[in-house]
This record gives sequence, structure tokens and C-alpha cells, in this order.
Amino acid sequence: MKFYYFHLMPYVMEHEEPSSWVTLSNRHYDPEVGRGRYHEYLDQLEYAEKLGWDGLCVNEHHQNCYGTMPSPNVMAAMLVRRTSRAKIAILGNGLPLRENPLRIAEEIAMLDVVSGGRVISGFVRGIGPEYFSLAVNPTHSRERFYEAADLIIRAWTEEGPFPFDGRFFRYPYVNPWPRPLQKPHPPVWCPSQGSTETVEWAAQRRFPYLMVFTPIKRIAQIYGEYREACERYGYTASRYQLTVNLPIVVAENDAKAYEIARENVLWVYNVGLRMRTPFYLPPGYVTETSLRRVLANRPKPPTELTFDDLEAGGYIIVGSPATVRDKLKVFSDELKAGIVCSGLNGGSHEKTLEMMELFAREVMPHFREDAHVDETAGVGR
Amino acid sequence: MRGTPVHLLSDGTGPALLFLHGAGAAGRWLPFQEQLAQHFTVYAPSHPGHGGAPAVEWIEHISDLAFHYLDLLDELGLDRVHLAGASLGGWIGAEIAVMASQRLSSLVLIDPVGIKVNGWIYPFLFGMELPQLISTVFHHPEAALALAPKDQSIDTLAELYRQNAALARVAWNPHLYNPLLRRRLPRITAPTLLCWGEHDQVSPLLCADAWAKEIPGAQLVTFRESGHAPHLEEPEAVAAAVIAFCLRQKSAP
Repeated sequence: MKFYYFHLMPYVMEHEEPSSWVTLSNRHYDPEVGRGRYHEYLDQLEYAEKLGWDGLCVNEHHQNCYGTMPSPNVMAAMLVRRTSRAKIAILGNGLPLRENPLRIAEEIAMLDVVSGGRVISGFVRGIGPEYFSLAVNPTHSRERFYEAADLIIRAWTEEGPFPFDGRFFRYPYVNPWPRPLQKPHPPVWCPSQGSTETVEWAAQRRFPYLMVFTPIKRIAQIYGEYREACERYGYTASRYQLTVNLPIVVAENDAKAYEIARENVLWVYNVGLRMRTPFYLPPGYVTETSLRRVLANRPKPPTELTFDDLEAGGYIIVGSPATVRDKLKVFSDELKAGIVCSGLNGGSHEKTLEMMELFAREVMPHFREDAHVDETAGVGR
Repeated sequence: MRGTPVHLLSDGTGPALLFLHGAGAAGRWLPFQEQLAQHFTVYAPSHPGHGGAPAVEWIEHISDLAFHYLDLLDELGLDRVHLAGASLGGWIGAEIAVMASQRLSSLVLIDPVGIKVNGWIYPFLFGMELPQLISTVFHHPEAALALAPKDQSIDTLAELYRQNAALARVAWNPHLYNPLLRRRLPRITAPTLLCWGEHDQVSPLLCADAWAKEIPGAQLVTFRESGHAPHLEEPEAVAAAVIAFCLRQKSAP
């Protein structure tokens, strides 16, 4: 199994406002504090490569304290020059959120060339509140996503210049310099929470599917749907097309791990993902079929999740190295996921670095039967 | 109609009056329409996607709704009508009027949105939870009860989501206006009445002044106990003003 180190780069803080997104005033953001955190977070990602992680992940969110990376490509650029081996996975760029998505094709190509072909390019729609922060019409979200993805992939693969004439994006000359180093183009991943339409779209194109912050039962169900769709498109999914993103807390024994997790993991769900109801599902952002499925299941909002919900639901992995190994075996052996994208959180920078060392020493080596395999060969393009 | 289903409520006798509802008021026959129906044949269609009417893919701009209603007038064989529209319906009414003023015996706009007014930014309604939305739209919050959904079933919630999406398609960004509309308003030749709630917090009296300035000869009447929806908060007074104004204009035979 491959291990990718995922960072949200949160601005961890407590507050009483109804939303950590869109309307949480940026007066709460202290740039001096932010500076220190950015450097700690980047140090953690760089250290992860030294410890043996296969990939380093950044992502895009806007106007919130949950994740302070409005431009993931900026963070990727910082990592590219400070690392030499690990994949740099941008998970991902919010395609519909860009007024000019040809800029994404250019930026990813730049990163790919400088990194010597280590870039993985996630394509996402962005979550609900993003449509409020950037004022993009959510009823256009899906169509803009497909159209921008088509544009970017054509820009990477077709000899320019050529014209592109879409509903939302139109160019007389598509001809980006540089072209990406990887052939035919950097692998594309689809981080998602399991909408039927995205599963189909990704499976058809062999784009790896990444389940983000989802309970394990639902992961199993969506993996099943994805594999079945791949079969329908005439091929069998590689294990490196099935990826999961979930937080891991490991410590020398279970009791210690639980203590650390109780203190640090809930924040992401209870505070980081707190938002006003209208922000969750902006109008037209999901299809009516998806909406009805959400309404029928009525999942608990993140703010109401308790530690026991996270533990029992398999949203997180917590325990001693032996316990964590057993829980990861469910992903590697039963769900047959090929890549685990996880951030670790020890509560402070130093403790996080220690936790990373423990994980690299006691957990990672037990899953290294595929150490020689390039997980990006033949998938994502 | 041209492949687009139309949900239409109609009652009354007399000259034809097309009533275009505001967001959230589709498919309801309220005291305001009932009073108009004493003097007019009232046609009250639901905008596509609103109030249970099916959403329509081709409607992606406010002018599409204006063409949709011009098609409806053709379909109903109505050469000229009185047109009254509230809020979003007023915006659509104004779009119709700049295209085809000759088909309107009169134009009544009740707290319309739709134009850019210097010094005012329409509050972002899509970001509001229900209590805030009600206190923004209504001066007397109890008036909102007339528009309460019938239940909280999945069907009802899906219908509300569809309605919100239909509104978002035409009004997310720019929020609640068409940048081209204001400069076209001087084209309106139909006699025009502007009805305005004095406590409107969506499109306040500042906006009324801009509308009155742009539409030649427009009259403005204000309602003291109303916010953004005077026809719901003071239906008798607004209906009386509308009826008196329209009856003074020459109707189609």
C-alpha cells in the first residue's frame, strides 16, 4: 500500500460564530500566527518525504478556518523545490470555481516540469460554501466542471494552438507553454464524497477515486459502485484507483492514542466543518436524485458527530501501532484500497513529528510489499 | 407550450391581467389575487421550477422568462394585458415591458428587483437561514405564514430545492439584477404604477426612486405597514391601488 501525507493546513481556533466558512470574519486571522503555522505544516510535509511517505497532498478551500490553502498550487510550488522523490498530489483544484481554467492547465504543467513529473492533479468541484465565497453559480457547477476538465486535458495533450468553444469557457488559441512532462498528462484524481455522477465520470476515464472524510461503510459501497462501473467500461480497476482520505492518530498504546485523538480530532468536524445550513448544499449543486438520497439518509451534520461516532463509524483510525496496522488491513485487504492519504495530528508540531516517526517506524513497513510499484503507472489518464 | 409545461391558476371576469409572483409564492391563490379577480380575469402562472412546476433547462437568463411569458400570452390568445408582478415577478414584468410594451395596457411593479441601483447591494438571500430570510422580506413576520410549506417531507424539500435552483439560475450572480435592464427602462411606454413597501429591506425605497426616474411617467405609491411584499402584508390596500390604476387605463377589448 502507498502512503500519502495529507495536510488541510487548518487555522485551529475556537469561536462561537454560526459558521467557520464564508462569514467567519477574517479579523480572527492573525497573519503572524498564520505564518508560524504555514511553516510548521510545510515542515511536516517535507519531513514526511524524509520518513518514507510516497506522496504529499495539498488541497483548495476558501474563506474559512478549516483549511487555509485557497491556492493549492502555491503550496505545491513550495514543496516541489524542497522535495525530490515524493509525488505532489494537488487534491484538487476547484475547476468550476475558476473564471479561467486554462490557468490551471498552465500552473499544473509548470509544476510538473519543475518537479520532474511528480505531480498528481486532482479535479474537484469545491464544496458548497465555495460557491458563496467565490460567487460562482452553483447551478452551473457540474457542467463547468466537465467542460473545464475537458479543456485542461485537451490543453495538455493536443498540439496547440487550437480553438475551444464551450458554454462557459471560450478561447481562440489554446496553446499553453509549458507542456506537462508526464505523458500523456499528469495523472488526474477525483476526490469526492460519492455522488453517482462523479463515480461514473471518474471510472470511465480511469481517474482514481478518493473518498474524503467518509464513514467506512459508505466507502465500501462507493468502491463497489466504482469497480462495477469500471467493469462496465471494459476494464478492471487497479487498486491504485481506490484511495481513501482519513485522519490517523497513533501512539505507543491504545489509551494514549485515544487520549490524543479525543483532544484533537473532533475539532475538524465540530468546529472546522461548522457552517450555516444554506452553505452545505447550494441550489442546483446536487442533482435532485442525489438530494433525495441525502434527505432519505439524513446523515448527522459534522458538528453533531461525537468521538464515538467517528470511531465506530470508521471516519478515523486511532490506536497503538498494532491496532492501527489491524485497522489499515481492512483498507488494504478487504476494501483493497491501494493508497491511504492521511494527516497525523499530535496536538502540537513537535508531537506531530514524533507521531509521524512512530507511524513510519512501526506501521508503514508492514504494508510495503508493493514498494517497487509506481502507483501512477497506467492510471489517471 | 412550445414543449414547456405551464402551471397556471386563473379566475375572475373582465379584462385580462397577468400576475407574476415573487420567489416563494408560486402556485398560491392569495387574497390579493382574489381581489383582483373581482375586476379582471387573472392569470397567475408559476415560473418554471417554482411551486412544483417542472424545472426547464432552457431557462438560464431572466430574459428567457420574459420570452416564456410572451409565448404564454400568444398561447392564451391575449394580445394586450394588464401586467402586475411582485419582486422577481416585477423584474420579469419589466423585462417583458422593455421588449414588448405595446402588449401591455398597464404595468404594475410591486417592490421589483432587477436593476442596479447605485448605493444599494441586494442582500444575498441564498445565504440566509429561514428566520433571517423572513425578517428581511417581511415587516410583519406573521405574513410569511401564507407561504409556509405544507410539510417537511422529502417531496416538499426537493420541490423547495428545485425552486431555489430555478431562482439561482437567473439570479445568483449578478444577484437579483440584470446589468442591461436599467438603461432599457426608458423604452417602456405602458402606463406604469410602482407599489412599494416603506420597510422593504431587499429593494428599499432608494430603488423605487431609481425605477421612477427611469420609467417615463411612472407613478409611485408606498405602503406604510409593509416590507418587501406589500401585496401579502396589506393585500386590500395594494389591490385597491392596482385595481384603480388599471381600470383608468384602456384595456384590450
